[in-house]
Amino acid sequence: MSEVLTTKAEARKLSFYYGDFRALKGISMSVHERKVTALIGPSGCGKSTFLRCFNRMHDLYPGNRYEGEILLHPDNANLLARGVDPIEVRMRIGMVFQKPNPFPKTVFENVAYGLRVRGESSRRRIEEKVEQSLQDAALWDEVKDRLHQPAYNLSGGQQQRLCIARALATDPELLLFDEPTSALDPIATASIEELMHDLKERVTILIVTHNMQQAARVSDFTAYMYLGDLIEFGVTDELFIKPKMKQTEDYITGRFG
Amino acid sequence: MKPIKDVIRRRKRWDAIFAVCGLLALMVGVLTFVALFLDMALDGVGRLSWDFFTSFPSRRPGQAGILSAWVGSTLVMLTTAFFAVPLGVAAGVYLEEYAAKNWVTDVIEINITNLAGVPSIVYGLLALGLFVYQFGFGQSILSAGLTLALLILPVVIVATREAIRSIPQAVREGSYALGATQWQTVRYHILPYSSAGILTGVIIGMARAIGETAPVITIGALTFIAFLPPAPVQAEPPFVSFEWLLSPFSVMPIQMFNWTSRPEAAFHANAAAAGFVLVLMTLAMNGLAIWLRYRLRRNIKW
Amino acid sequence: MTDHASKQYDLDLDSIRSRVLAMGGLVEAQIRRAIDALSTGNVALSEEVIEGDHKVNAMEVSLDEDCSQLIVRRQPAAGDLRMIFSIMKTVTDLERIGDEAQKIARMAKNIHERGGPQAPPVVEVRHAAEAAISMLRRTLDCFARLDTDGAEEVIRDDAGIDTEFRSILRQLITYMMEDPRTISTSLEIVWIAKAIERIGDHAKNMAEYVIYIVKGTDVRHTGQMRGTPTLDA
Repeated sequence: MSEVLTTKAEARKLSFYYGDFRALKGISMSVHERKVTALIGPSGCGKSTFLRCFNRMHDLYPGNRYEGEILLHPDNANLLARGVDPIEVRMRIGMVFQKPNPFPKTVFENVAYGLRVRGESSRRRIEEKVEQSLQDAALWDEVKDRLHQPAYNLSGGQQQRLCIARALATDPELLLFDEPTSALDPIATASIEELMHDLKERVTILIVTHNMQQAARVSDFTAYMYLGDLIEFGVTDELFIKPKMKQTEDYITGRFG
Repeated sequence: MKPIKDVIRRRKRWDAIFAVCGLLALMVGVLTFVALFLDMALDGVGRLSWDFFTSFPSRRPGQAGILSAWVGSTLVMLTTAFFAVPLGVAAGVYLEEYAAKNWVTDVIEINITNLAGVPSIVYGLLALGLFVYQFGFGQSILSAGLTLALLILPVVIVATREAIRSIPQAVREGSYALGATQWQTVRYHILPYSSAGILTGVIIGMARAIGETAPVITIGALTFIAFLPPAPVQAEPPFVSFEWLLSPFSVMPIQMFNWTSRPEAAFHANAAAAGFVLVLMTLAMNGLAIWLRYRLRRNIKW
Repeated sequence: MTDHASKQYDLDLDSIRSRVLAMGGLVEAQIRRAIDALSTGNVALSEEVIEGDHKVNAMEVSLDEDCSQLIVRRQPAAGDLRMIFSIMKTVTDLERIGDEAQKIARMAKNIHERGGPQAPPVVEVRHAAEAAISMLRRTLDCFARLDTDGAEEVIRDDAGIDTEFRSILRQLITYMMEDPRTISTSLEIVWIAKAIERIGDHAKNMAEYVIYIVKGTDVRHTGQMRGTPTLDA
């Protein structure tokens, strides 16, 4: 890779505890700007746990504890610092979930919600932003005639793209995808992967996936995790053709377990 | 090895037997209610007329009516709702969304469940001491409203909590992930989506409250009222008045009780008619609850 | 290597690998018999070899098909990917070796049917052929055992065959100049020697794939393994 890489976010010796259980064991990793970084690993390896540290989702539930730092650039802010409000973090970092979870409201209201939460009240600005976000999520053409119909009328793939539009409406710096296509059929999956390819020009993406071929298809960098440790991190093409660690090789060739 | 057909046939027979038993059990309840209702209807329908609804009680059975009773019931229900709904919903939201999961919360929850089991006459005594005498509200609609609000509070709280619990966590996470605060999530998501369940619980609670007799008697609802509480809306300023809250009153169950305890048979007919009206009012409220739940749940699919 | 989580995957892969080795054995036998036919003048043997190439081709087609199926079903990654990739290329090289053996048999048949003065350097040709067969056998062995040291040796030995080829060429030029009647036969022997040299190249290619499978580095065309620089041959 000869191009210059800038770091968007960095985990430094990040550990995470569910009560007494140490789910992440001192992970240090960089997430490069405007690239897609994939997290792969068997169930229980901590990849979703790691992902959710970035937008402080663990704060919603009692008994969790962070150690270490997550730095967000360019301002070098530590997202896990004591004085940092999780709400602020979530205003800069967006998330798309495994099962599409549109609100039981209209399509328009779904995308506009993030803006309303920030206090945006100008109807014109909201409408512009909603249209822009739906365009960016490759959904505008399909929903422009039914913006004020319930979001639940959309198909699974459309709902997930709606969730992506909803996250994009707030101009996040980093977009977290938690197994975004595992509940979708192959065609919807392909459309989301296409979308990610376009989105990465604008926003940095960190994606958790249990589908290795998807990681190989969509990501520029891949990290393999096992039981809370980061085993290997590298350029995707290299990792999938010639991994450095035997554990990685065993996992991606299906010799695992 | 018995042939499969025989085995299946025997098992299906037990299926049928259980279905029949279930149906019979159901019929016992339904038929009992229908029998009572019809009996009351037959006795009382003859008395129903415009005069019956617009006359005050009187010593002469032919001229007695339920005007003060149903007006009183309506006003008391309004007051009850006014207090029970905000308190119950707020408590339910707090317990589900804000309270930390520790032993203090557990104690609170246990107490609320216990409230539902307190005999209603005990509420009446509490109200007598607290509202009527201590606070000085007197034997008024306000006291009755407050008492019945306390009575149905557990129902509203439980309904609120159940409705909130049925909201999947994914919706909350979706809201928080966009940078919403807890209040924003409650206001834009939790409350709107649980409104169907909450409303249903409120109406069911009210349908129960409308028939509660013991606590209302205890705080001194009068059985013979020949006047109506002052009207809330007047022609002269101030245009809205709250005097009605502090006025003496009667309610439907008390009027019925009063008539049944008179020896004249004609009064019994009156009581039956009043009972008929009361049951209709209750059924109407339950029907409203069902319809509202259907309307509000239409957009929610999970 | 530990087994795959899917037993069927292991079975499929093992089946393909053993058939590659079988194809290698078949091809080795073809070369040997072709050279025997050249030395002994057994025309019937030549014809057997010529006919026998059909079997080699059939194995190539069948193996390529099975490899394609494995790719579609298993989407191999890392070591498995390099293995399948190398197998498909090895199969191609083996089939070409089979073609070269067939050519040798054809030339042998032509020489002996024509009769006339025999071109002497059959001994050198036989020697070069033995060297090539040895390279082939060793590279198949290295493939079976995933032995990179042996593979590196094979790659280096290719220079030797190239040298022998040039020496045979020089000898044949001498003979052709001495006795023009031997030109036709000598030319045929040139083609045979060339075929042997190509067999050596193919065996070298196969050895390079073995290194790719094990180490993941592609050493083709780098010249880093060769002991001596070669002239264009």
